Amino acid sequence: MAGMSGKRLQKELAKITGVLPPGITLVSAENLREWQMDLTVPDNPIYPADHVYRLKFMFSTNYPIEAPECTFIQLSTPVRKIPIHPHIYSNGIICLDLLDKQGWSPVHNVESVCISIQSMLASNTKNERPPGDAEFVRSNRSRPRDINFLYHDPSV
Amino acid sequence: MASYQAEQLKEQGNAAFRNGEYEEANELYTQAVAKYSRNSLIYTNRANVRLKLQQWDGVVNDCSKSIEITGPNANHKAFYFLAQAQLGLHHPNEALSSALTAYEQVLHPHPAAKISPKDLEAFSTFVLKCKKAKFAARDRDRLRRQGDLRAELEGTLEAQKQRDLDEVTAQLRRGGLGNVEATELSKEIISTFDEKINSLRTTFAAADPADHKPREVPDYVIDMITFEPMHDPVITKNGHSYERATIYEHLKRSPTDPLTRDPLTINDLRPNFGLRAACEAFWDSGASEWIADW
Repeated sequence: MAGMSGKRLQKELAKITGVLPPGITLVSAENLREWQMDLTVPDNPIYPADHVYRLKFMFSTNYPIEAPECTFIQLSTPVRKIPIHPHIYSNGIICLDLLDKQGWSPVHNVESVCISIQSMLASNTKNERPPGDAEFVRSNRSRPRDINFLYHDPSV
Repeated sequence: MASYQAEQLKEQGNAAFRNGEYEEANELYTQAVAKYSRNSLIYTNRANVRLKLQQWDGVVNDCSKSIEITGPNANHKAFYFLAQAQLGLHHPNEALSSALTAYEQVLHPHPAAKISPKDLEAFSTFVLKCKKAKFAARDRDRLRRQGDLRAELEGTLEAQKQRDLDEVTAQLRRGGLGNVEATELSKEIISTFDEKINSLRTTFAAADPADHKPREVPDYVIDMITFEPMHDPVITKNGHSYERATIYEHLKRSPTDPLTRDPLTINDLRPNFGLRAACEAFWDSGASEWIADW
């Protein structure tokens, strides 16, 4: 059915407008199919408090049965860089189980995804990219949802 | 032979329908039923094209014919099209009843029925739509009746006030009352009736659920997946409930409990009758008046 995602996204948007956890803000959702959110990370010197990161969400018509595509994007004004993390490639693609087919659950939502990514950054101790980042960024032509990540290190 | 010709015309009609040539398709199906009138599918197909043309009465007739041929227990499509036409004709009660019949027939299909995988979700959504229409119409009616009653009572009070004032004027003219007394009496009459009208309005306002509205739809009637109110909730082993059609859709892709990720299949789900009754009660409470956004 085509209509499920529209209604759900409208209601999600109404719910989070104005009330979001600290460090998470809604930037734009004029196009209901593509939202942008800004993120800051508390208490981690790898991500100083004045560094803001931009997340882009893309929703298919089957959302929330299907996961949203969620990536970091780079901007020059305002400055938004891709955060350094062993599960985040330098092209913004995030390797996080809840964003892929197996890990996603329709009871997740934009807010809970943002919180998961925020806490993934907050608990990170390695100031490095995933192994094989340069090769992956050069060769990858797939959309995030079509990539089958291997979660080689579930501890990170 | 006639049935074969009818079948040919029906196929041409289907092709026209696929191309969006609805008038053409309608015409071809009409020729088909003229050749052979015992094929229920021709009627359902014509009903579908007439839905596109918004010829509601034609849809109702075609669906009735189709159901007459197949019997009432295995024709989910005809009931679904019928429901849409009834909604188009502003008969939400009939529409809801047809939609529920269609939904039940998809849920417990007749062995011969051809159910498409998208049917359950589409029909479930439509049941909800009819439900909203039904309760919105009922609540609108009630408000209008309430408004009419209030207007009538206010009118009666006004008329009574006028009679009392006329009586004072008449007594004054007959000399039974002095000027000062008459003015005093008139003032008293006016203030008494104004008070009555005010308290009448207060009473009606207090009885109007739209005036002291609970703003939030209670979470227990909301399906956690679509964020829509539920009408056929089912419960998992872990005690959480979801709308049947949406959890089915999730389980098709991932046979896991959405909250715990434990293995979960359709067979593990049970209807949640208590919650279903609570959802009904929620609709019945006049909720459609204060839920701004369906």
